[in-house]
Amino acid sequence: MSMSRPSRSAGNRHSSASTVAHPSPWLPVSMLIVVLLPLLLMPLTAVFIFAFRGGIGAFIAALLIPDAQFALRFSLLIAFATALLNGLIGTFAAYVLSRYRFPGQRPLNITVNLPVAIPTVVVGTSLLLLWGPIGLLGHWLDPLGLQPMFTPFGVLLAHLFVTFPYMLSTIKPLLDELETTYEEAAYTIGASRWQTFWYVTLPALRGGIFTGALLTFAHSLGEFGATVLVSGNLRLRTQTAPLYIFAQFEAGNIAAANAVAAVLAALSFVIFFFLLRYTGNGR
Amino acid sequence: MSIVLDQLIRWYGNQAIVDQVSLEVADGELFVLLGASGSGKSTVLRLIAGLIQPDAGRIVLHGRDVTAVPPQQRNMGFVFQNYSIFRHMTVAQNIEFGLKIRRVPPGERARRRDELLDLVGLVGLGNRYAHQLSGGQQQRVALARALAYEPKVLLLDEPFGALDVKIRAQLRRTLKEIQRRLQITTILVTHDQEEAFELADRIGVIERGKLLEVGAPETLYAYPRTVFTATFLGTATVLVGRVDNGYARFGSLQLPLPLDSATDYEDGDRVQILVRPEQVALSVTEPKSHVPVIGRGTIVEHVFAGDRRRLRLRLPHLPGVRQIAPAAPFGEEGLLVDTVVPTDVPLAGDAIWVSLRAWHMLKPPPRRLLLYDPAANTSVTPLLTRWLAEKLDATVTVLGIAATNEALDPVATMLQRYLDAADLPAELHLRVGDAEQHLTIEQTESLYDLLVLGCGESTDAGATAQPPDVRMIERIARSGMTPILLVKGSRTQLLRILICTAGGEPGKNDVRTGGRLARRFGATVTILHVSNPVRGVSLLVKTHLEQAAATLRALDVANTVQIYPSTTPSEGILHVAGTDDYDLIVIGNHGPIMPTLFGSSDVTRQVITHAPCSVLIVPDDAL
Repeated sequence: MSMSRPSRSAGNRHSSASTVAHPSPWLPVSMLIVVLLPLLLMPLTAVFIFAFRGGIGAFIAALLIPDAQFALRFSLLIAFATALLNGLIGTFAAYVLSRYRFPGQRPLNITVNLPVAIPTVVVGTSLLLLWGPIGLLGHWLDPLGLQPMFTPFGVLLAHLFVTFPYMLSTIKPLLDELETTYEEAAYTIGASRWQTFWYVTLPALRGGIFTGALLTFAHSLGEFGATVLVSGNLRLRTQTAPLYIFAQFEAGNIAAANAVAAVLAALSFVIFFFLLRYTGNGR
Repeated sequence: MSIVLDQLIRWYGNQAIVDQVSLEVADGELFVLLGASGSGKSTVLRLIAGLIQPDAGRIVLHGRDVTAVPPQQRNMGFVFQNYSIFRHMTVAQNIEFGLKIRRVPPGERARRRDELLDLVGLVGLGNRYAHQLSGGQQQRVALARALAYEPKVLLLDEPFGALDVKIRAQLRRTLKEIQRRLQITTILVTHDQEEAFELADRIGVIERGKLLEVGAPETLYAYPRTVFTATFLGTATVLVGRVDNGYARFGSLQLPLPLDSATDYEDGDRVQILVRPEQVALSVTEPKSHVPVIGRGTIVEHVFAGDRRRLRLRLPHLPGVRQIAPAAPFGEEGLLVDTVVPTDVPLAGDAIWVSLRAWHMLKPPPRRLLLYDPAANTSVTPLLTRWLAEKLDATVTVLGIAATNEALDPVATMLQRYLDAADLPAELHLRVGDAEQHLTIEQTESLYDLLVLGCGESTDAGATAQPPDVRMIERIARSGMTPILLVKGSRTQLLRILICTAGGEPGKNDVRTGGRLARRFGATVTILHVSNPVRGVSLLVKTHLEQAAATLRALDVANTVQIYPSTTPSEGILHVAGTDDYDLIVIGNHGPIMPTLFGSSDVTRQVITHAPCSVLIVPDDAL
């Protein structure tokens, strides 16, 4: 028997057997879609279907409800503020952790990344237990009329806590990778530490800051667990969009809930799209 | 003087990565700091730049002490090995950065930038980013950037290390041109010796934190002072021989000592010779008689290198000669010589005559003492060794022999304690196996100037007296050219020396060796001849004694001659030594092989066994 190439006989239907070097993707891909369908794709479609059930008019009417308007505006405002503040704090933290050597560096490094692992509800309770009326600091501040909980400020605090690691973890690796000679070159040229940071280091972090900001924004928009505790769910005062959706759903106003949910989902897609574009391009 | 470094020290843990480096670089000079990886050269550069601080020492730039001044204010340009140009800025922006920081107006900045782009050969590439440039182009940008603000000094840290060979050559030429044109004081750090040769006005060789030598490339190549420099800069054949009768002797090869330093050498001293490949002459026929010949050998390696062939020849081993370079592979017994011939010269087969056209004597190596004290139970031996080291300006190595690998650690600890007790700084050589074997190896390799053997005998309270293993000592003494000092008695200084010219043969070596030591010790010498009570003293002996006294006088050593009649020489020697309280007996290694007038009694053995004080055994004359 000669050792010839496997023949493409008529009986050989399975493409994977005859062309070993190029396996057909159709089977695994179909399997993947079958798994993703009920998990992701169908629920997302359901939101949009329900949102437009009553027609465009009903959709817009649902969005014009003052509570809905407030919730969306408030969420966006908090998200921006969180991204901005955490941008500053996160960059500073990344710089200190990356560029300085001090005892306790490793434990500190681990601690600042902890919020990612803590359930957001626990974050909420911890904040209440610190600042709330019976909290460790709160019971001093409350009689003075300074109560951060159940205010927009409290919501901001919670969002800063929860999203802190995202900024840090996109910037710090960039700083770590930046070779020390990069900044040393600037020093030898005559740039002070501040000038070096501003003209040389910061621009190199641009990409990380942008990605970090997008991630922070997205997480803040969707934050529920800590917000529900810390805000007190006070409509027109501290009710974010996710809280609004939850409240409306519980009350049975599916259409109202869905309208805002659809807007949130759409916003998320837009952010995600930007993230992909940006990181996909590299730099 | 543009740059002055004054005793710079920088520690890392308890290691000095920069160890008392002092250097002066002249205005407009291109100075290359050459060293292997980890030698500390980059650290020195970074200290000059101010990127790290020295732990001690000063840095002076154009008369201004900048040791405490931050890098921003030192007005220097620095070029890194990894370019480090700013990736988010264009080439033009990179170059202008230094000027922008200095608030130079945009018009002026642009003009200067164009000047520099032209200087480094990057015209038209001003708008490119780093990722659009090749490695060589990026380095040119780095150079332009460093020169933009007209610094006083340019520092380069292995700038071409990350580039491939052709580009490296190109950039070297560019750098040299630019440096000449701008006349800017430049320090370049590299491990590439070719680069150093091509670029440097002067080279500084640095190794393990120490600046070993500084000089022009050709001077360092032809006349290095140390072995390290000789072997680091180009191929070298380095041999160690001994000074004999005013000549440098390498087995059968005898060379005159260099005129200017002939007085630095004393007979018996070790001497090091450097031969560069181009200084070796090969021939098929025997060279003329005045040409120094190393021997006849065969080619064992040849490497084709374009315009020439590098050859390595193996020749028969020269007795008493140690080879430092090229490093002999394990098991190699012959002498290896590296040479170079033009490619078109045909290669002969075996028995090629290898002779020298020229050579260079390196600085005489420091004297070295080897101490072996197996009993290690008295303080006399280490104290005496310390005294010897001081007087002879020598370094001490202590040999520790353990029976097994496991016993090495305890031996090491014990020896360290032993050394600390006597405050004797020494290097420890630990070996497993047989003491005699190791001592013989050390002897034949001619590594040391003096072998000090403690034999555990002393008058210290509580020390156990151990008779010295005489046969072993004899065998070791016979195997090499190093004198052996057997420590006996309790003296820790040797100020009264008895030189024995026992037996009938002249023993010139004994007198010379004993005399040289006496001079260094500041000791007095008695030349003893034991005469036959019946036959008296012959004329020959009298003449010899006179000559010996004259030799010692020439060495400025106070001496007397004593003739003592005795039936056996050893008895006579021991009697005199005992009664007149000498610190050291100097005797030749006259074994039973040497026929003596008194029959076959072994004088040396008797003296070693029964002497009340230390004994110096001087080996037979070299061949």
